[in-house]
Amino acid sequence: MTASTQAVGSAFTRIARRHGMLLIFLVLVAFMLVAKSTFGTYQNIINVLQQNSVIGIIACGMTFAIVLGGFDLSVGAVAALSSVVGATLMIDAGAFGIPIGIVGALFACLVVGATNGWLIAYLGVNPFVATLGTMTVVRGLIYVATNATPRFGVPYSFTTVGLGYILSIPIPAIIFASVALVLGFVLHRTRFGHYVYAVGGNVVAASEMGVDARRVRFAVYVLASACAALSGIILIGQTASATPQAALGYELTAIAAVVVGGASLGGGRGRMSSTIIGVFLLGVVANALNLFGVSPFWQPVATGLILIVAVAVDGYSRRSVFASTE
Amino acid sequence: MPDAVLRAHAISKSFGPVVALQDVSIDLGIGEITGLVGDNGAGKSTLVRVISGVLRADGGSIEFDGARVDFASPAEARARGIETVYQDLALVGNLPVWANVYLGRELIYGLKFAKFMHVLDKRTMSSNAREMLRQFITNVPPINESVERLSGGQRQIVAIARAGAWGSKLIVMDEPTAALGVAETKAVEDVIMELRQRGLSVLVISHNLDQIFRITDRIWVLRRGRMIGQRKTRETQPDEIVSMITGVAALDRGDP
Repeated sequence: MTASTQAVGSAFTRIARRHGMLLIFLVLVAFMLVAKSTFGTYQNIINVLQQNSVIGIIACGMTFAIVLGGFDLSVGAVAALSSVVGATLMIDAGAFGIPIGIVGALFACLVVGATNGWLIAYLGVNPFVATLGTMTVVRGLIYVATNATPRFGVPYSFTTVGLGYILSIPIPAIIFASVALVLGFVLHRTRFGHYVYAVGGNVVAASEMGVDARRVRFAVYVLASACAALSGIILIGQTASATPQAALGYELTAIAAVVVGGASLGGGRGRMSSTIIGVFLLGVVANALNLFGVSPFWQPVATGLILIVAVAVDGYSRRSVFASTE
Repeated sequence: MPDAVLRAHAISKSFGPVVALQDVSIDLGIGEITGLVGDNGAGKSTLVRVISGVLRADGGSIEFDGARVDFASPAEARARGIETVYQDLALVGNLPVWANVYLGRELIYGLKFAKFMHVLDKRTMSSNAREMLRQFITNVPPINESVERLSGGQRQIVAIARAGAWGSKLIVMDEPTAALGVAETKAVEDVIMELRQRGLSVLVISHNLDQIFRITDRIWVLRRGRMIGQRKTRETQPDEIVSMITGVAALDRGDP
């Protein structure tokens, strides 16, 4: 190979590494636009936005936890908690039921987030163990409290949050976009976000230089729960009810979206924009399977395969980059 | 000897039944590079950890910059002007060079309340960091590159220059070149001598006697938790230092 083709090749690998998932996403979208005329319709785009906003908001919070070098398995259960607590208060609390429900749901979820943060940051419990524990406990408590039955009868006006539109854009998608913008700013522009990268990259060095790693960790797990709480509130709005089984397995889908976007479970790596791409990549694949009439049971199979391929390709390219700089 | 930036007097430290330091005194001259040598287990690292605030001595006193000090943490020592550079632990690999230089001291825009929500002024930090490193380093590594893409020597240089750039009075280094090749060792030594050139005081632990003789002004020798003595580098020979370290040959002319 000549020097110039090598340079072109390495420039290409650089672009592919930086924007690989975006390219794959665009290729997929282009393919779908050509292959299925229904894909590009307003109604279908609205569907994709509707279906992925709830998981997207959870993924935004999960991005912080993963960049920090951990993850949060409890977010699905926390979203269900938010949903059930919020719906119950909205049904039972009378005139000011809706604001009381929202505040109550947020409060319940922040207690879980603070518990996660306290266990992980201050007691040094492994994030997997801590959040697996709170996930199981919270889901169990929801079943106990509801006797595993759904809560119906949320004021119908609240469905605006889940099903309404502003300027023809679904409100959940607008909430997702706002969360992504705000948290993207926090992660990439503020001291707090900077410290999330520092602690995720090398907690010893960061602490040595005066970063309070425990406070950063605590705040990240509270933030992850807050995102899950918001998702749970939107879930109420989509059905005017709450089910104890809500958001089952969302934690794993969110982790998959963040990792497919290019974040590393080792910590210190990942971007909010990549998470958004990851969310919609998985979302469009699910949508494509649906449009081609493939059984929905194939959807987790596709998600799992994409996850494995993405991580394997990332690991392979990282190794070869380091080999070439040696 | 010139005035001392740090005087440790009669320091002792035990870990359970193990006596790591016994009645150890050391003076570090202002603007000098002081070498601390001794065999494995002689107590070098323990003494350095006491000086840098990682460990608290059981007994004895430390006078730094003219005042009695008793550091409860490395952060306290750093705030007073003692910076310790640990091999490979000092930098965050995934952050760019400028972010490591400014880690824990970030520059921000505007509003000063709500510390964690401060918006970082990345551009100013990046250009300032280059100037700060340039004081000590002739070839400043790419300032926006993540540290993990630098060589081991470049990383060590960044860590040392960062310590110097933040106005530390005393920089402590435990085996600063242990993992480095010949050229990189030379580059790190150049930075250490540049620190002295700028009036900073340096304490270096090294197993490499050639290096100790190349860069230090004064050598202190620890053996089995006791300070055996000190020599001016110019007035001693490696043979003498080796015999002081091991306690074997009769060259030991007694404590000063």
